Amino acid sequence: MPTVSVTVARDVTEAIKVPRALFLPWPMGHHFGAPFHRDLQRRVVLGALGLLETGDEPGTILDLPVKWAEVRREAKTLSEQGRKL
Amino acid sequence: MSVPYLREAAAQDDLGKLVRFVRLHLGDGNEAVGKEEIDRSWGETIKILLRDQPVDREFIAQVLEKDESTLALLFYHLHLYLIRKSGRWIHDGSR
Amino acid sequence: MTAADKSTLSAADPREAGTQLRPGLWQTINERYPGSMIRKESFVPQARLTKPLATSRLTLVSSCGVHLKTDKPLDVCHPFGDFRFMRVPSWAKHDELIIHQLKYPHDDADLDINVIFPIERLQELCHEGRLGGLTSNFFSFIGYNMDPEKFERTVAAEIAEAVVGEERADCALLAPA
Repeated sequence: MPTVSVTVARDVTEAIKVPRALFLPWPMGHHFGAPFHRDLQRRVVLGALGLLETGDEPGTILDLPVKWAEVRREAKTLSEQGRKL
Repeated sequence: MSVPYLREAAAQDDLGKLVRFVRLHLGDGNEAVGKEEIDRSWGETIKILLRDQPVDREFIAQVLEKDESTLALLFYHLHLYLIRKSGRWIHDGSR
Repeated sequence: MTAADKSTLSAADPREAGTQLRPGLWQTINERYPGSMIRKESFVPQARLTKPLATSRLTLVSSCGVHLKTDKPLDVCHPFGDFRFMRVPSWAKHDELIIHQLKYPHDDADLDINVIFPIERLQELCHEGRLGGLTSNFFSFIGYNMDPEKFERTVAAEIAEAVVGEERADCALLAPA
């Protein structure tokens, strides 16, 4: 069964040797982004699903280089504008 | 402090290790927080009982007839109930 | 995945890689809870998709502890963990779901479940034809447990059996919390 994980703890993921994973430099409890930030959540899901197609090497870890500060800024803008991205 | 580790500690009656685990569990990996939480839940019982409201001793007697495993687990549920009542707890794994 | 979607991701380039927000987590967990983590010495044989994602059935397995509001919650108080799991209908919406968990911050997930359990995003991708389908149920359990051997023997084995058997998944997205 081909599987892909998402992780915010690269060291744990490397230690337990998952087949393939997408790493996000984000806090626990926010593996797919911020509330109502639909575009970012999609990006994470698509990134992970893409690895199912391309991650042939055991232990492949792909990075999503979006800083949490950036996510928070976008989420704050969203909230101030009273709309969802 | 996995279950196998705790089984060994229990067999040796190593109270230090057992209590350390309880504090870590209740304090989300922070022993000092866990210790404070244990004190706080006990303190909360005093605050509540000071309100001198009616109690259901019959219900308590019935509960105490349950098996020891259920009662031991109930102890944890009661602790969490009291900590929530206190309004001061951090249980989110972020520390 | 479209070219536009691909362009938003980097390869594993260290210059682009973000830093883990909570460094040294593996060491911390092992110091505080020795013996609690499943350890693997080698990789399992790498399984690969046998057909495109657009014709594949996906399942989602999560340790976030989410479940239908109409279900009784898993036991978050037990000091060793709860070695059961919940089935979450894959067509459920945020308003029908709830998280009972203590060991990770879920205030934001309480506002939008997709932050930790992207069920609605997967539903959309299915509607768009990017995924062939979703299994009838997704799977959720409490990630906190102090008996890794029992966890593998119970929760992990039972979910794996369900995923392959009754749910007939072609692939799985695994989401910790």
